[in-house]
Parts: sequence; structure tokens; C-alpha cells
Amino acid sequence: MMWHKTLMGLALAAGFAMPGPAVAAPLPTYTPAYEPTSVDERGIWMEADETERQLRDSNLVIRDAKLNEYVRQVFCQTVGDDRCRTVRIYVMRIPQFNATMYPNGMMTVWSGMLLRVRDEAELGAILGHEFGHFELRHSLNGFKARRTATDIMAWASLLAPSGVGTITTAAIGSFYSFSREQEKQADLLGHQYLVNSAYPSASAARVWERLMAEADATAAGRKRKSTQRYAAGFLASHPTHLERATYLRDVAAKAGDQGDAAEAAYRSRMEHWLPEFLADQIKLNDFGGTEYLLGELAGGNWTPELLYARAELYRQRGNPRDLVSAAQFYQDAIAKGFSRPEGHRGLGLALMRSQQTDHGRAALQHYLKLSPDASDAPMISALVAP
Amino acid sequence: MIGKISIIAVTAAIFAAAPLPAGNSLMASHQSVAVAKSPLSVTPDGEWNKLGARPGQNSESWTMDGDALNEVIFYGGIADGKKLFREVDKRNKPLPAFSATMLITDIPVLLENSYRTALGTPIMTIDSVEPHDFVGHKGVRFTYSFTHLNDDLKRKGEARAAIVNGALYMMTYEAPALHYFDKDAARFRQLADSAKI
Repeated sequence: MMWHKTLMGLALAAGFAMPGPAVAAPLPTYTPAYEPTSVDERGIWMEADETERQLRDSNLVIRDAKLNEYVRQVFCQTVGDDRCRTVRIYVMRIPQFNATMYPNGMMTVWSGMLLRVRDEAELGAILGHEFGHFELRHSLNGFKARRTATDIMAWASLLAPSGVGTITTAAIGSFYSFSREQEKQADLLGHQYLVNSAYPSASAARVWERLMAEADATAAGRKRKSTQRYAAGFLASHPTHLERATYLRDVAAKAGDQGDAAEAAYRSRMEHWLPEFLADQIKLNDFGGTEYLLGELAGGNWTPELLYARAELYRQRGNPRDLVSAAQFYQDAIAKGFSRPEGHRGLGLALMRSQQTDHGRAALQHYLKLSPDASDAPMISALVAP
Repeated sequence: MIGKISIIAVTAAIFAAAPLPAGNSLMASHQSVAVAKSPLSVTPDGEWNKLGARPGQNSESWTMDGDALNEVIFYGGIADGKKLFREVDKRNKPLPAFSATMLITDIPVLLENSYRTALGTPIMTIDSVEPHDFVGHKGVRFTYSFTHLNDDLKRKGEARAAIVNGALYMMTYEAPALHYFDKDAARFRQLADSAKI
């Protein structure tokens, strides 16, 4: 018995030791307060500075100090304080999945991305990837590659005006494959940041897998074929989501690093903005994609906020069966403690539209009682009046 | 001489044959005029410019100083299943469609979602919604504000709408919040009050 236990213990210890505490490859040395050196680079920085001056005052920028601070904190924990210090992050209210990095160290993070990532590690993976472009000076190299490609085309058209086809095609192709290569490099450097951080690097692949599924759901909802590509086309500037998910999963498995993805923390810090981001998403007229996204966010646990969002989505599509589902979702949300008066408003309107006038009226009256000064109160009152 | 005349004749024939783009035209005051190729008609009490380019099949634009500075759009009976205006990208950014079963409170939302999709802007809010008769039917009057993605200029809008026999009749007025909206809001309201079907 004793012997068995010892053996078990040994096996367990070996089991943990097997993948080995993968020695995280040290990050490349980083130069803080880098200044552009060449003519090309100074030009690119000047343009980016101008863009930043305009973007800083844009109506799209979310100025909530807490949200900004949190995004920065996750970013700093991913790439380390030295690297983090040089970057200005602007959180933008744009309901699509994206983040961008400019050559002068300006980063934009879109609200659609904050809605879609599930935890701090996934957010860190995206931000790290973007920062990778900056650290590797990709804009500069991209600019040079673009210029080389156009130079080749200009010369080709001058030398052989009639037969430039192949040269031009080759030049364009080389530019786009260059861009795909850059994306991959940034992905891999982003992975390296995660390995060196407290977050697990396995998170990165999951983001791309979910994006693929969402794109398929959007296409299905619009009754068209999926445009999901399983190989990068000639003109694709990014590797396919599938390719990314695959190599990121591979390197993460090799690194074998563990860590806390901080899902609960992410959820609680985003709570304040969730209703707003969900509302933006629902107004995109993308039933399939949104339904998939809500299901993913719920993950089997439909919170009152997600139920309300789902109800709104169904009520907006407005087929007779959708209105029945919507009414049910509103009721579920309210039963689970959805506290904003809009729950009763939506329920009332869904019932009214499916011709259950009396019940609808009752729900709308409840809404008016809770929210007598709502901007649409006069209209709802008129709707309720017999 | 003969040669010259025939050249002129040929040139004239070519121009006559080519379909001319519908030009802008001046709308006279105090005359009832049908708009948006529909039963909807209005009687302006001042002059307006009608733009040749239409936002969609069942709509028409009028302006005072140019459509970026003030624009009235008439929607003359959008039928069940139709979009408010022409789609920019039907495949990837389809617009929501009007449905004859919509409640009158769904109309502001329809306009908001169509704008958000067509302009690609997340900055659009409905500011007030109240009952108001339009074209002799029970309808809605609502106000909104929005910003185009590319110019960051705050714009305000005001609209009236009613659903008549399952079709949507609506008039909207939009202008930059600064100066222009207030400048012609009264003229829009006069136009909207005069609307008939």
C-alpha cells in the first residue's frame, strides 16, 4: 500500500515534470523612447503623429478613465512595464473586432473586440500581437515593401508597356505575402509576451477559433455561403483565422506554460460597459453572428443582461416566432433579476406586436411607472391608451 | 457650311440620345407637389432645391444649402420587406427591412439601425419619441443625433412618420447641430405639416 502511494506520487511528480517548465525564450531587447532614424521612418512617424492628433479628439474615443486604465493594466501585464510605458492606448467605440497599432506607438482598441474576448489573457494576446508590429517596426518595412513593389511595377510598365502582367502580378503577390509574414511574426512575438507573462499562452488560439465560428454564423444567418477561407488567398493581407489558430495552438502546446487567464476579473471590470457594447452589436443587423456571440458569452449561464440582449435581438428581427421567443427571454431576464425598466418596455412591445394587446399594455404600464420620464414615455403612453 | 451644320446636328443627336443624369431643380413655393414618386405631396411656403440623386427607389431629397448642411428626405410609402434606402453593400452590410407588422415605436429603431449600418457609425441615438399625427394618420415624431464616421461633425435630426395601409411614410430633416439645424427646422416643420397622401 505504502509502496503504491509512493509510486503514485512519483508518477504524479513525473507527470507534472514531463512537459518541463518550458524555458521561456527571453524577449528581444527593447529600446525605450525610440526615435525614427531614416527619412522613410521619420515620414511615417510624422503621418502617424498627425493621425493621433485628430484621433485623440474624436467622438469615437471612450473617455472612461477606469476602462482605459484597465485595458492599459492588462497590456502592461502582458508585455511588461518597459514596453508598455511608450504606448498610448485609445479605446474606440466601434462594434467590430479589431485593434490597430501605429508606427509612432499609438494603439487603438475597438469596443467590438472588448465584447468578444473572454478574459484578460485573450485581451493580452491581441494587444501583444499589435505591440509586436510596433516592436518589429512593421509599418516601416511594409512601407518599403510597398514602395519596392510599386517601383517594380512602374519600371516594368516603362520597359515593357504591353507585357507587364506577370511582373506586376508577382510584385503585388510578393507584397501581400510579405504582409502575411509580418502578421505571423507579430503573432509569434505576441505569443512570446504571453509566455513571459502571468497569462497562459494557450488563450491566443481560442480567439481565432471563435472568430471563425462567428463569421460562419453571420453567413448562415444571412443565408449565404460561408466566406471562411481555409487557405490565404493571393491578395490576403492576413493569414487565415484557421492558420493562425493552428500555429498559435502548436507553439502554446510546446511552451506548455500555465497561468490564470483572469476570466472573472475581466467579466467584473467589463460589467459597466457590457450593456452598451451589446446594444451596439444588436443594432448591426447581424442576427446569426450576434446569436452565436451571445451564446458564447453566456457559455451555458444566461445572465439577465445577456437574456435581455437576446430578447432585443429577437424582437428586432420580428418574425411572429421571434416575438414569442423575445417575450420569453424578457420574462426570463426579469425573473432572474434584470433591473432596468427597459425589460418591461421590451416585453410590452413584443407582446403588443404579437397581438397580445392586454398583456402588452400591462407590461408597458409597468415600464411607465418605473420610468415616467423616459425619452419615449409620451409615445409609450399613447400606445397604452385604449 | 453644310458640313458644319451636319456636325452640329450629329452632336446634338448624340447628346439627346444619351440619358442625362436627372438634374437638381427648384421647387416653387405655395404649390402642392408630389414627392418621392409616390402619393405623398407637400406644399412648401418657401423655395427648396430638389436633388436629382435619390437615396432610394421610394425616396427623394430636398435641401436649402446643400445636402451636407441641411437635407429633408421624403419616404413615400416603403412597402413591407423593403429597405429605407439603397444598400451600399448588400452582401456584407445588409440594411434592416421595414415590416408592415411593425409598431409605430419600431420606426425610430429602423432608422437608427439603417443609419448605423449604412454610415458605419456607432454614434447614433434617438433622443425623443412622441405621438404626432402625420399625413392625417396617427404617427410619431422623433428626434435623433448622429455623427458620420469620417467628419466627426455632430448632426441633429427630426422626423415624422406614419404607417398607412402597411406602407411607411416618413419625412426626416437633418443638419449639423451647430447653427444649421435651428436655422431651417421651422421650415421643415411647415413642410411636414403640409404633407398629405
